[in-house]
Amino acid sequence: MSLLVSYLEHAVAVFPSLLRGAVITIEVTTFAIFFGLIFGTIAAFGKLSKRSIFKVPSIVYIDFIRGTPLFVQILLFYYGIPGLITAATGQVFRIDPIIAGIVVCSINSGAYNAEIVRAGIKSVDRGQMEAARSLGMTERQAMKDVIMPQAVKLIIPPLGNEFIALLKDSSLLAIISVHELSKNGMLYVSKTFAAFPTYISVALVYLALTMGISRILAYVERRLGVSDRSE
Amino acid sequence: MIEVNNLHKHFGKLEVLKGITERVEEREVVCVIGPSGSGKSTFLRCMNLLETPTAGEIRINGELVTDPKIDINKIREEVGMVFQRFNLFPHMTALKNVALPPMRVRGLSEKEAYDRARDLLKKVGLEDKANVYPSSLSGGQQQRVAIARALAMRPKIMLFDEPTSALDPEMVGEVLNVMKDLAKEGMTMIVVTHEMGFAREVGDRVLFMDEGVIVEKGTPDEIFFNAQNERTKSFLSKIL
Repeated sequence: MSLLVSYLEHAVAVFPSLLRGAVITIEVTTFAIFFGLIFGTIAAFGKLSKRSIFKVPSIVYIDFIRGTPLFVQILLFYYGIPGLITAATGQVFRIDPIIAGIVVCSINSGAYNAEIVRAGIKSVDRGQMEAARSLGMTERQAMKDVIMPQAVKLIIPPLGNEFIALLKDSSLLAIISVHELSKNGMLYVSKTFAAFPTYISVALVYLALTMGISRILAYVERRLGVSDRSE
Repeated sequence: MIEVNNLHKHFGKLEVLKGITERVEEREVVCVIGPSGSGKSTFLRCMNLLETPTAGEIRINGELVTDPKIDINKIREEVGMVFQRFNLFPHMTALKNVALPPMRVRGLSEKEAYDRARDLLKKVGLEDKANVYPSSLSGGQQQRVAIARALAMRPKIMLFDEPTSALDPEMVGEVLNVMKDLAKEGMTMIVVTHEMGFAREVGDRVLFMDEGVIVEKGTPDEIFFNAQNERTKSFLSKIL
């Protein structure tokens, strides 16, 4: 009984710190979703392009990011690259951990988004582009008015999964002491050794956040579904 | 109106068109028949450069459309195309399907485009379906909307790629009737079709294609009832 009471006390005590951490987690995730979408869309069109100056860099980017762990990417970006710059210029160079976290998460998420966007565009029936082009529309007009509106409906659900993964993966930023949700949990445990109540609280806050994202996405899907009379 | 001179098309090693030479005059309706894989669809798709010819020339109204420097979109504005699978835009109403291309390509105002679209839907007998999405339309209705959409660009030539092949039998007639009206108005048409009744009623000529060449051509009656070539006879015996 006393154990339960002490666990509850810890859970209550750690909660404000977890909320502050959650704000950072949300902040990093929101920026990373935003920039990740931009990177992903650019890389998707790059990979779809027939011209190798767009295609090759996109493929290299996507393959490198998807083929290496996010954890290593974080270390490389936060320690590796500033270290390289410092060594090369002789001046100490540092990056703010939160900025580094946003940049790495954006780049990482962008690579996965690229494949989602590309797959969505590719799965729109070829006849749609042909019909649009046969009517004299340019490739750009056809993409904007015909292909993308159909592709978006295919893209949104897997993109949602990607956002949820991104939110959870942002916990890895604890290693570069971004004071997000997990890091704040770890700091509390290091002072109190109350691992179970702290980490279960951390887990539950993540759960609440991911469920929130799911809700928002379900709403967006429903809204888009309004005009979805296809098939 | 259309002059095709020694047209070749390869897909990799496969030679689909092996030198097609043909003329289509203004107001003429030409039906193309032939077994699947004979190159008739490819021939049609070369006319508006959905396929790029490997060699040979195509002139439309004297303009060399196979010239790599030509603005493809300008050609396509003049050449309407109707597909076997309709290819309507599923996320737009029937009306918007018809109105969008002239707005985007011809720069029509929204009002002009929608007025034109309404007139065209009326012409194909679907004015009551203006605000319906394609998935709620039957195949025959979808194909009629697709014809209206092509006509909205006011093309000088219409290409039909097996327009009734994907339709249930009871819907074939409504689509053919729209096409017959068009032919009577003097539209220049090239139609890949096996509808003999249509070919005989409105077709001026029939081309029989096989293995990438035009094997035989003549009036519909000549081809359907008095074919000279063995391959033509053998093909017709299978479809008639």
